[in-house]
Amino acid sequence: MVIAPPGQEFLPRERFDALLDLLREGGRTIMGSKMRDGAVVLDEITSVDDLPGGWQDEQSPGRYRLTGDHGERLFDVVNGPMSWKQFTFPPRQAVASAQRNPDLSATFSARTPDPPRLAFLGVRACELAALRIHDRVLAGGAFVDEDYRARRDGALVVAVQCTRAASTCFCASMGTGPEVRDGHDLALTELEDGFLVSSGTADGARLLARLPTRRGTTAEEAAAAGAVAEVRAATGEAVALDGLHNRLMDQLDNPRWGQVADRCLACANCTMVCPTCFCTSSALRSDLNGTVTVAERVWDSCFTVGFAQVAGGNFRPRRSDRYRQWLTHKFATWVDQFGSYGCVGCGRCVSWCPVGIDVREELAVIAPPAVQPERGANRPAAATPGRFDIATLGALRNETADTSTLRLVPRDPALLAGLPGQFVMVDQPGFPAFPISASRYGSDHVELTVRAAGPATRALLSQPTGAQVGLRGPLGRPWPLQRAVGRDVVIVAGGIGLAPLRPLVEAILAERARYGSVLLTYGARSPADRLFVDELSAWAERGIEVAQIVDRSGPGWTGRVGVVTGLLDQRDFSARPTVAFVCGPERMMQTVATVLRDRGVAPERLFVSLERHMECGIGLCGHCQMGPFFVCRDGPVFAMSELGDLFAREGI
Amino acid sequence: MSEIRPPRLGVVKLASCDGCQLTLLDLEDELLAIGARFDLVEFPEASSRRSDGPYDVLLVEGSVSTPAQAEQIQQLRERSRLLVTIGACATAGGIQAMRNFGKEPAWRASVYPQPELIQSLATATPVADHVNVDIELRGCPIDRYQLLELLTALRLGRRPQLPDEAVCLECKRRGRVCVLVAGGVACLGPVTQTGCGALCPSYARGCYACFGPREAANVGSLSAWLGADRPSGAVDRLFAGFTGYAPPFRDASARAMATFQPPAATGEEPD
Amino acid sequence: MALVNRRVGWQGGGMKPRVSLAGRLGSTWFGGGLPPRTRERLASIAEVRTFGPGEILLKEATECDHFGVLLSGLLAMQVLVPGQGSVTLLTVEPGDVFGWSAVVAPHRSTSTVVGIEAGEALAFGAEPLRDLLNADDVLAATLYPRLLQAVARRLTATRLQLLDLYAREQEVLPW
Repeated sequence: MVIAPPGQEFLPRERFDALLDLLREGGRTIMGSKMRDGAVVLDEITSVDDLPGGWQDEQSPGRYRLTGDHGERLFDVVNGPMSWKQFTFPPRQAVASAQRNPDLSATFSARTPDPPRLAFLGVRACELAALRIHDRVLAGGAFVDEDYRARRDGALVVAVQCTRAASTCFCASMGTGPEVRDGHDLALTELEDGFLVSSGTADGARLLARLPTRRGTTAEEAAAAGAVAEVRAATGEAVALDGLHNRLMDQLDNPRWGQVADRCLACANCTMVCPTCFCTSSALRSDLNGTVTVAERVWDSCFTVGFAQVAGGNFRPRRSDRYRQWLTHKFATWVDQFGSYGCVGCGRCVSWCPVGIDVREELAVIAPPAVQPERGANRPAAATPGRFDIATLGALRNETADTSTLRLVPRDPALLAGLPGQFVMVDQPGFPAFPISASRYGSDHVELTVRAAGPATRALLSQPTGAQVGLRGPLGRPWPLQRAVGRDVVIVAGGIGLAPLRPLVEAILAERARYGSVLLTYGARSPADRLFVDELSAWAERGIEVAQIVDRSGPGWTGRVGVVTGLLDQRDFSARPTVAFVCGPERMMQTVATVLRDRGVAPERLFVSLERHMECGIGLCGHCQMGPFFVCRDGPVFAMSELGDLFAREGI
Repeated sequence: MSEIRPPRLGVVKLASCDGCQLTLLDLEDELLAIGARFDLVEFPEASSRRSDGPYDVLLVEGSVSTPAQAEQIQQLRERSRLLVTIGACATAGGIQAMRNFGKEPAWRASVYPQPELIQSLATATPVADHVNVDIELRGCPIDRYQLLELLTALRLGRRPQLPDEAVCLECKRRGRVCVLVAGGVACLGPVTQTGCGALCPSYARGCYACFGPREAANVGSLSAWLGADRPSGAVDRLFAGFTGYAPPFRDASARAMATFQPPAATGEEPD
Repeated sequence: MALVNRRVGWQGGGMKPRVSLAGRLGSTWFGGGLPPRTRERLASIAEVRTFGPGEILLKEATECDHFGVLLSGLLAMQVLVPGQGSVTLLTVEPGDVFGWSAVVAPHRSTSTVVGIEAGEALAFGAEPLRDLLNADDVLAATLYPRLLQAVARRLTATRLQLLDLYAREQEVLPW
């Protein structure tokens, strides 16, 4: 929960220039976000028009795109390939010169640091953390890089509180954001009409006093706090930080290092864009007479072959050695060296890797936490045994001979805030409660697609409109749609398994441009046993490939006949990381998962939705246990990599 | 290098376009200094002074493409203290190596009205396939600053700084935005050796690997990524260029060349 | 502010590659599992057949006159069931094969193969194919295993269809 610090001032949007003028005083040059060549880089800002007003970034592994016309906001683009080390620790910096004199004496002169006077405009919380880390690494130990110290001391820092996150951001997970805590002279939070401004140092306070601000209202402060809280919610789950150091160092022989090395190009892009990487080499420039040689400190990377080379050999000859070095340094040994993790969760290495390797995924596979953390981005209604919230039955639509979709209007709005893949427990007086995945969370209703399989479900489907039932939820871990942003998606539904996937499809279609190619394969028993027939055609018109197939044909059917795996086993999903969501009878999910794995979908990107005997839905009755998991609380959605061979095992 | 006399420097050419030799002349500001510090004994493109050796440093441009050149390179090796190959032809075979995939007779017949008069080997191969090479300068053409660094290092007696790393590092050092990640443009920078100063990405086009494959070039992974939204065969064609015969790129080039047919020989005079 | 997504293409040569029948065969699932020499040999007796919706390529219980690899479009394999008419057992996706009765005795089609979506297939005449297999042991040694794989794949799929998985979902609770 973010509490806005008391005494925030408000700078109207039209007076933003006043801030720029103040920053430029004393001959300072302002460095901030500027659009160039399809990305936002850090460059000189002379007026508010230089900032990327109205632009937003869409980032995902190996992909970065900017889109415009989103209004007037100046700081919606979260980051780009450059970080502030561009100015505090430049890529090429002459540091010394050496001269051999005719009398064989030698002269060594170090270059006196002469940094330009800069103001950094738009430093995010993760970047402040990166600057703190560099302060420790480059100037906080026994030996100090004087050039870095001079540049760092000379810069004025105007931070910007993030009100938007890219899908690659994971600052909250790394404990570095999104809230701006300290290290800034001034901090801005952008709202629609202007900026809340606060100061963090005496210099900043002096500047703030001279800005044409008024006191911020409580409404404005609440809006700012709310926006930042949303960013926190979006960036908090990716990395299980507790004990990561030891877990990672225990895995030096994990075969995954070799597997990621097969994808890794050792191109060093991740280290170049990383705001905390600091490895450099000395490059010599000599004149032809060999008298004067200038030494430059140049950005280097542990991924290059020369990095660990000595006469007679190389300490890290293989790509797997180098990837392991980088990941273990950033997420383990950095703690031993400098007392903090090296990663700040900015996500640049994920976006700017040319082949989309995602450190969050690699960590989850190489060093998973022992127990899955409890999920639940929302507060379920009636989340205690004995309580149910009231919902009123609305219209009923028959889908097939034994399945219908029932509309319910709950009293508690929490029941409407479900995410695709979550379920509810349905209770009726006199009948045992049972779990049903919602097939739609609407603005004022939920839809449950129910198969009349026994007395309780038949009872539900025979109630008239207006009757009341009890609901608990939304419960369980939803489909991780965030993982699919910027990637190709395969959705495989079997029979009634299409119901929990329907809200997933609708969520993708609502923001179609954020995803790559989307394929939905739907297998049903016969044409008459298909759900949502009209919607299937409509979805195909909206930019996803829909392939339907039935086990047995029916009258008038001119479509495909066969098994759903036949639509998948000739496709190649290995070229680019593809995310798969599968739901259907367990035997069908097993077959499909095997085929998808064979065709190149990695197990940590293959998600299934399981079903077990549930009586409470909230992990208290013990029925739905499966190995270490409670399916109601840790699932029902699981990644195949979490399940391992539990999935196909008899009697678990 | 002995200080008593300036080192004898030779520049010779096999099958090539001359561009790499020209790079030496492009070092306009340093040319006089080079001339003062080296004894330029053989450089037909620039000087009428000739010498058959011996050479302290011999810069060899071009690939071995004819029987005569195959013999010549052996003799040159014997007469050189340090043999330096310069350019894509000498280090990788060059674009002419695209005939190596069994196509030489067909291409020869297609280009020349009287192919029987042409004496070339079936393959155009890098110099290192024939003799030991001491130093390689990559590029098509080579980078003049790398050449200067080489000559300077030779004068000082230190190892020349020719980093074996991806073009990507230079792009990032110069603040260039990645054309692949931000624009979806096919770029071979991640598998290509640096040296050009990230020239092509500076103009928003993808690197086409004229400096050849770097160490640990992961061609398979990059090809798979690029191939995901390109027609089949397009990615292979990216590699079938000036350094396509270099071993990490060779398989892709072979596949690409398998789909190309030389135009039918018309037997007519060209326009 | 202009820009993003400028596509600068690779400046490849002006040559358009002509793809041979062997090449087309190689780009299918079935053909991709055959060695190049086998593909070349098969290509020598192959021809491209176009078909439209409703067009019959093979008729159930008649002599199977060709073996086919589907290149594009969609085919249905149907049988006649008295009282139900033509029932589609299975649809054939591009890359898959049909008409293997051409090489399996008694060389009579076990189903009617009819077009659903227009497309093209590579057709190999039954007699030329059988002659080629009898004459060329190496060709036979590479073709039959691949054909067996195609049959196994279809058998596995048929078994899954038989299991009727969607009809009897796990009933874990009597509700």
